[in-house]
Amino acid sequence: MKKQKYWYKLDNAGKIFPAVSQDERSNVFRLSFYIDESVDSTILEEAVNRVLPRFETFAVQLKNGLFWNYFASNTHHFEVEPEPSQVCKYFKSHRNQGYLFKVYYFENKITLETFHAISDGSGAMHFLKSIVYNYYKLRGFKIDHEGKVLSEKPYSKKESEDNFVSNYDKEKRKNLKEEKAYHFDGERFSNHWVLMLKAKMDTKALLNLVKTKYQCTVTQFVTALLAYSIYKETVDFTQGKKPLKIFIPVNLRPYFDSVTLRNFSLYIKATFTQKRTDWTFENMLELTKEQFKDQLDKDKLQSRISSLVGFEKNVFIRVLPLILKTIAFKIGYNILGESISSCSISNLGVVELPSGLESRILDADFVNAGYGIAMTLISLKQQTNIIMSSPLKDLSIMNHIVQFLVNEGLDVTLDTNYKEGYDEIL
Amino acid sequence: MKYCKSCHVHYDTSLEHCMLCNGDLEKENDCVETYKFPDIEKKKTSRFFHRLFIFMNIVSVLISLYVDYLDGLPLTWSLVVSITNLYAVVMFILLTVPTIWTSKLTKSIIVTVGMLILIGLAIRDHSWALDYVLPFAVILNILLITILIIVNKKKWFDYFSSLIIITIIGFIPGLLNLLNVTHVTWPSVACFSYSLVTLLGIIFLPSKSSREEFRRRFHI
Repeated sequence: MKKQKYWYKLDNAGKIFPAVSQDERSNVFRLSFYIDESVDSTILEEAVNRVLPRFETFAVQLKNGLFWNYFASNTHHFEVEPEPSQVCKYFKSHRNQGYLFKVYYFENKITLETFHAISDGSGAMHFLKSIVYNYYKLRGFKIDHEGKVLSEKPYSKKESEDNFVSNYDKEKRKNLKEEKAYHFDGERFSNHWVLMLKAKMDTKALLNLVKTKYQCTVTQFVTALLAYSIYKETVDFTQGKKPLKIFIPVNLRPYFDSVTLRNFSLYIKATFTQKRTDWTFENMLELTKEQFKDQLDKDKLQSRISSLVGFEKNVFIRVLPLILKTIAFKIGYNILGESISSCSISNLGVVELPSGLESRILDADFVNAGYGIAMTLISLKQQTNIIMSSPLKDLSIMNHIVQFLVNEGLDVTLDTNYKEGYDEIL
Repeated sequence: MKYCKSCHVHYDTSLEHCMLCNGDLEKENDCVETYKFPDIEKKKTSRFFHRLFIFMNIVSVLISLYVDYLDGLPLTWSLVVSITNLYAVVMFILLTVPTIWTSKLTKSIIVTVGMLILIGLAIRDHSWALDYVLPFAVILNILLITILIIVNKKKWFDYFSSLIIITIIGFIPGLLNLLNVTHVTWPSVACFSYSLVTLLGIIFLPSKSSREEFRRRFHI
């Protein structure tokens, strides 16, 4: 049976987020489902509150301890809200009944925005699927969950496990020093608004292209494509002193046999030197493949987990009062945090839904608003969405990516949160 | 759906022009495209008044210090004005940051006592602040939080941090008295004793759940 009162230490990935998050850097990511009917907000709210007790890692509030933050159980009634115009908007949990996620509705769209301290994309997707499944149940539909909806399965303690700590091996620690990365410069949209451009394409056609023509994975392909587009469209990259470094989160669950709903992802980096001026897409892709092969190694991943956990286990760090840790995290993150990556790519993969639910969900969004360009991929049914988001007003890199895909013979459909007339407002 | 002839991309949104080339979009079929995001709302400009308030207080500090300095005598009244201005800024920030009100109350009392002690130092007579204001403010704060915990047992853990912090501060008047910084003994002794009793109560009286809360708050 589940406990009514519980508490957790923050996991390794989540420890820094409460200290460094703000309007410009929300550390919030978005998952949306477009359903086949207009959303009834009362039923949606009921569905969230019905599902919430099952998801112990989401039913929490952030508390301050003397040395560390921690999560305590939260039993307040959760309220859904109309979707704001700003994607991945920063929010204060005090104004959200203490919860660290938001559920929004807009016409036929149900959106879950999650603060990264509590979960990553995989964990949040389980939560969203369960909300939408229960929404339809409350609407009176009988849908077989086919074992694909977590809220319908019994709770397992493994879902709340901190797998960073459980995979920590003191002997495997290594130095994680990183050089600084190239950063995009340019005018930003006002009011922290983030432009989102969604390129929809047929999954089979995309897979056919990457497997047959380029013999690589989709993530490798889009990584090389993003790097090549940046190389082609920016004027200061090859003239600068810093390499292009693409941050790619890796879901560690398959590597370490984990079912946790908490954060359990690490990142790899695809790095491209600025010194070379004869890059082609093909040689960028070859380098990407080599770097993926080299870094996606279980032992190397574990050694990086151990280094990160080793840092928080350091006695001097542990005895530092939380208020000083917060200041140190803020300073450290401002100096190092964003400067070691140029942009990011996150592939959530295929969304598996029970057939009864799949026919009712028309489309899905996965958005990660970060610095420079944040690229995300999500596949639903026969369609893959490549979503690019940016706080910068420059569309040239996105344009190059879309044109490349079109030139490769893919049928691309675009959607965006941009509207004519926004130029005057933003 | 709409289509851009130049870029060869379809559009599933109600845009009239292509985002990539700014060319006109052609209608492909009779389906009505919808915009799937809420319109931008104009942001409130309340932050401007926050900044203005802080700015005016800083200007007031600088002007009063400068005018007082022109006398050529040691700074006197300007220190009181400056401390009051800074107090107003700190209290403003403290009250606008969203947190539980017991935490705001404790912080407000600490800041207010601190301000009074500074004013005492500025007018070269701090004994009233240290001898009376500090111990009584701490006693009052401990009493208020203790009553809150007794009345609202369910939420006691929300008040726990404030109680621990103010109890520890409660030992300061006693120490100041030992060091002969203060001269009136009984308020300091009363404050010290009350804090000690509260701390012993926190350690020995609690149930299993309270000890658990203690573990959470102090986990390292």
